[in-house]
Amino acid sequence: MTAFLWLLRRETWEHRSIWIAPGLLAALMVLAALFGHAELSLPAAAAHAGAVGGAMLLVFGLPFLLAMIVHSTWYLLDCLHAERRDRSVLYWKALPLGDAITVLSKLVTAVLLIPMVYFATADATTLLIAFIVSLRTHTWLGVSLWRADLWLQLQALWLYLIVTMGIWYLPVSAWLLLVSAWARRAVTLWSILPPLALAWLERGILHSGHVAAWLATRRPQGYLSSAFHDLAGSLFAFADSVGGAGKEPRDVWMLLAPGRFLAMPSTWIGAAAGGALVYAAIRVRRREAES
Amino acid sequence: MNMDPRPVVEAAGLTRRYGSFVAVDHVSFRVGAGRTVGLIGPNGAGKSTILHALMGLAPSEGRIRVLGREPFRERAALMRDVAFVPDVAVLPGWMRVGRAIDLAAALYPRFRRDRVLAFLERCRIPASHRVRTLSKGLKAQLHLAIATAVDARLLVLDEPTLGLDFLARRAFYDALAAEQSQSSRAILITTHQVDEVEPLLSDLLFVDRGRLVLDCAVDALGARFAALEAAPEHLIEARGLKPFHERRLADRVELYFEGADPATLARFGAVRTPGVADLFIARLGGSAP
Repeated sequence: MTAFLWLLRRETWEHRSIWIAPGLLAALMVLAALFGHAELSLPAAAAHAGAVGGAMLLVFGLPFLLAMIVHSTWYLLDCLHAERRDRSVLYWKALPLGDAITVLSKLVTAVLLIPMVYFATADATTLLIAFIVSLRTHTWLGVSLWRADLWLQLQALWLYLIVTMGIWYLPVSAWLLLVSAWARRAVTLWSILPPLALAWLERGILHSGHVAAWLATRRPQGYLSSAFHDLAGSLFAFADSVGGAGKEPRDVWMLLAPGRFLAMPSTWIGAAAGGALVYAAIRVRRREAES
Repeated sequence: MNMDPRPVVEAAGLTRRYGSFVAVDHVSFRVGAGRTVGLIGPNGAGKSTILHALMGLAPSEGRIRVLGREPFRERAALMRDVAFVPDVAVLPGWMRVGRAIDLAAALYPRFRRDRVLAFLERCRIPASHRVRTLSKGLKAQLHLAIATAVDARLLVLDEPTLGLDFLARRAFYDALAAEQSQSSRAILITTHQVDEVEPLLSDLLFVDRGRLVLDCAVDALGARFAALEAAPEHLIEARGLKPFHERRLADRVELYFEGADPATLARFGAVRTPGVADLFIARLGGSAP
């Protein structure tokens, strides 16, 4: 276990961008909140304060979520390839560290450590921006950002996103790791082309579309419709209520669908495929010491 | 002194193929406890392939035991007791010197941090510097310092001075000699630059084109090999004793013998024990440079 923690620590030494990128994003957003100018024409009804506050908090978090996805993807493709590129893989293999623990440390960095850092930074940034907005506006808008229930929902949403995305996209993460462990060059091409080629071949030869259909489940809308209840409908209802339709919007708790998510076969088929691909990445890393 | 009589490394029939190409062909040898063994051969002879098999970096055929373990299957466990410097300049450039030391101290069960810190002080390397800011020679010495601070029964060095300039090579081998005089661990070192390692070695393994062409203790060389500077009038007679190599110099001819009677040879000219470099060239045969 201590070896595993040292390996995680080592990832933060090598990839200082894990701290720097969310930090930069936070700095940009705080600057925008301090000096930016936005015209908000919202119904100034206190009844909608919760809705508006919740929406704003979500909007503050969204850039972090998107940056996190890009960052983790880039990291997964680079991590095992980089150490082969500069031959430092030989140094790592000379240490008493197994290949399984090493590959797993990289997976955990991508699906847990990087998301948690972005989550913590997003939280801190959102707090700071809420504070700045409160000071700058002197209106109910500022006050509406300070509701404990909204904050709680936001935390729950982030944690739910990290866990469900981690599981749902495990086959993708593991595939990227495998490409990183195996491809000599052009990791990005290798990560994209084989799945597409497989889908295309299946269509051409077998005239069926199972691969394509499966790939489609891992598109964003596939994830959102698996892990959330009727997200689009909820958002419209939400927009309606903000627009003055009079309904109090549904809260986050009603959007999350953990039961359905965990009961879907696609969730676990994907996780099993991810496990197999991680195993393959470990096997490849075990053999591929020589360039 | 190390009293454990079991060999540290045992290889029997070690073979490694890449497709139809046989990079290492049924190589068998042992490294005894406390010995300093030079695995010597020209570039591409298969030295690193043998070493990688011994260190569990790649699968191979044949029976290999290092400290009683199967390297490829038990690499992580094996590396707790082996200090391995795989190559020059594989320390990651982004790593801070102090953190490389912290990591080694955390991962090895027995690690003498004070010795590496003494090395840093001697070479005036600040622990906060990144490895990439060091010269190639200092990098190699830092890696050696970290490796030798591991209390391991076996130290393995793979072409540790490749690409270093003369001064850096000298400093490296001086450091290694100092280390060797203080400990009883076995050392296995590959190189194609024979001259500089020669004084350190107790045993020689010559490899050529994937095969082991010599396995001999340095202090047994005199009893086994002889170089005869044959007098011109005896040259034909001396050739009849079947030398395994003939070296033509400007003004004389040297004949190399294995297992020949020194008294018999002495009748044809001056006899001496060949140096390691001479023997290396002679053994690799033919008109090799």
